Amino acid sequence: MMTEEFEPKIVAFLCKWCSSAGSDLAGVSRMEYPSNVIPIQVMCSGSVSPLYVFSAFNKGADGVLVSGCHPGDCHYIKGNYYSRRRIALLRELLKFIGLEPERFKMSWVSAAEGTKYTEVIKEFVDELKPLGAQTKLRRNG
Amino acid sequence: MVALEDLKQEAKNVLEGGTVKYIIGYKKPAAGFMAVPAFFHKPEDLDALVWDPTCFHNLVLFLKDEKKRKLGQKEPDERPVGIVVKGCDSRAVNVLLQENYIDRENVYILGVSCGKTGMVDLKKVRKYFMGKIISQIDFNENESFTVTTTEGKVEVPATDIFADRCTECRTASPVIHDVLLGEDSVRTPENPFGSLEEMENKSQEQKWDFWQEQLTKCIRCYACRSICPMCYCDECVVDTINFAVYPDTPAEEKAQKIKWVEKSPTTSENFIYHMVRAIHLAGRCVDCAECERACPVDIPLRFLNKKLEKESKELFDYDVGYDIEIPALISSFRDEDPEDFIR
Amino acid sequence: MRKLNVYQIYAPVKKESHWSYEALDKPESIRLDHLNTIQSPKMIIFPQREVFFEFHNAEGNTPVMKEPASEPSATVIFGVRPCDAVGVTHQDKVFNGDFKDLYYWKRRNQTILVGLACDTPPSPHCFCLSVGGSPHFTAGFDILMTELEDFYYVESFSKKGDTLINLAGDIFSTPKENSKKDKEKAHSDSEKKLKRHIKNLETVPPKLKNMFDSPLWEEESLSCIQCGICTYLCPTCHCFDISDELDSSSPLSGKRVRTWDNCQFPDFTMHSSGHNPRPDRASRLRQRIMHKFNYFVTNYQAYQCTGCGRCIAKCPVGIDIIEVLEKVRDYGK
Repeated sequence: MMTEEFEPKIVAFLCKWCSSAGSDLAGVSRMEYPSNVIPIQVMCSGSVSPLYVFSAFNKGADGVLVSGCHPGDCHYIKGNYYSRRRIALLRELLKFIGLEPERFKMSWVSAAEGTKYTEVIKEFVDELKPLGAQTKLRRNG
Repeated sequence: MVALEDLKQEAKNVLEGGTVKYIIGYKKPAAGFMAVPAFFHKPEDLDALVWDPTCFHNLVLFLKDEKKRKLGQKEPDERPVGIVVKGCDSRAVNVLLQENYIDRENVYILGVSCGKTGMVDLKKVRKYFMGKIISQIDFNENESFTVTTTEGKVEVPATDIFADRCTECRTASPVIHDVLLGEDSVRTPENPFGSLEEMENKSQEQKWDFWQEQLTKCIRCYACRSICPMCYCDECVVDTINFAVYPDTPAEEKAQKIKWVEKSPTTSENFIYHMVRAIHLAGRCVDCAECERACPVDIPLRFLNKKLEKESKELFDYDVGYDIEIPALISSFRDEDPEDFIR
Repeated sequence: MRKLNVYQIYAPVKKESHWSYEALDKPESIRLDHLNTIQSPKMIIFPQREVFFEFHNAEGNTPVMKEPASEPSATVIFGVRPCDAVGVTHQDKVFNGDFKDLYYWKRRNQTILVGLACDTPPSPHCFCLSVGGSPHFTAGFDILMTELEDFYYVESFSKKGDTLINLAGDIFSTPKENSKKDKEKAHSDSEKKLKRHIKNLETVPPKLKNMFDSPLWEEESLSCIQCGICTYLCPTCHCFDISDELDSSSPLSGKRVRTWDNCQFPDFTMHSSGHNPRPDRASRLRQRIMHKFNYFVTNYQAYQCTGCGRCIAKCPVGIDIIEVLEKVRDYGK
């Protein structure tokens, strides 16, 4: 009986100007990295509402990543500063209700950091594999 | 200590003089002993006004109704509404002012101080007085309450029956007022977030088991949202039946409404509702604990909001409801905001 | 109890500050010292969420519907108070008639209500006597137990009740000569302990017929927060909504689900045009009182209220239905 290795599904909210461009650079440069990511492009990491994150977990995401421009480099000047605050609060809330803290991550990935993007994803997948599927916030009934 | 007669007199003055349209205060219920909200339109109605440790309710929520009522009127009465506020309630008024939901001229604040002891918790009183019939609870000069039952009067130490939120309170008297009754005191609780310690020390699995059991009970009556002074959105983002639809809303807009949460009260949907509400109250919740009191199935909702209040203070040094000039928590930032969690 | 393991048993279980019906598998967990549960047996017979069927698009985009696999099993609800049993009979009336609600009746026909007469009122707000009930009312029960000094006096009113008693066999014995008198005394004593009453309630339905435009509703609903607790906890309220919950939009699959709805929610009567005939709290409070004490009386010759007192005890802002009814009764005097 063959048991397939668990492949976590990661939903990544990538800001268009930096992180999404960074992921494109990784692709164009033919860098190898795990294919577990479902990328969703948002205009700015500051536009990521907590509802997006909860909805991703509700629909079965095993991990959620929010990635934006480095502080000071936001295309909209301040968006990433707001997201830094909001995601911090969101992380604390998810930890408080008992979700494994490894499932929700944030990163700064610039448009030139294709390599960093692949590293972020590789590390995320490696951390999620032993945790197994996310069943706590997944829609039930 | 606040003398009830003084409060009544202040209230009568502004009502008789026509300074205020009506006054929102407390009265005794038809049956039972916990005070209930009351609206006083005529000065003689104020004879029914009460002030005692059962005045737990946060009356600021009725300012939401007042605003919505005025919006529906062609020529609204622009006079302010008189409202009896305690320390915690006054911070709620401040948050509404900070967000420009109401203007300062819309409220006439009759501030009352809780003194040393705060308000009683109904469940604790019932447990303490197992089955006895209570008719009245009064403040005392020292840190105790006098409870009158059919068997006589009993003095009870405040710590036995007062509300959990009062143990962590820093605002014994209103921080904003037009009139202040009682001493202008400040409490310095030893451990302002002590109630969270037990929860935070649990393992992730224990936390999950706790919240899963609690939130499965939720019947989505939305009482927590309805009684919260800060939940004033016309259209709640997690309530799929509550879309703000007007006669001139175009069909395309109606067809594109996103359904974030199903109507069914299943555990996963309840989680989303409560977590979104907690996040939307980050930096706005004043811990009046009304949500927890209103909940018919006894979910300890206060913890969710208190956790974010603690993080706001520790991570961002943000105090809720003291300064109306500062911007909202989530639409402001500091250069030194922590980013150690960011890869 | 051993022979009864074919039944799914629900009984009141003590939570931190309230009692709640839960499915039990150990007979030892049953306690009979409860007051009343926070939710009535409505939550079992007419659950807050019920899946009607599942659907998905099979090959060639043909829709396929599938009824849920599990059928409701024979259920015993234990320790029910008379007010809640009357509530079940009111729901029976509504789901019967010209259109029988098959989903409701599948469950209802399998349900046996075993009641416990109230020797003292479970709530300080009980008023069952005023609405045609009593602490020992038998309507809706298959079996009613009355606690006497050393034992319970048990009466069966239906075939289902008889079956249950026969299954339990040797734990029952014929009542002694005086037991019936003792039971009747216990019943009449319990009636005297009720604290709250509404005098002359029968004058309210005709009075309500002329009070549609009364300013009373505005006054009485000033503190209502539209939470819906009164309706959800009420043993007789039964409004529902039907919606589709999608698991996936492409390929299409999901469930058709019935959930409780609530006339106190602001959007209960919202039309898709945007018009809302009950746009404010006054009209919704009026609806609640009219439905319970006017329309239901006309349609079914009974008050749609069993006097359980939950709406009074749990209203977060202290709106008291007895107070409102007394004001209606005395309006204009």
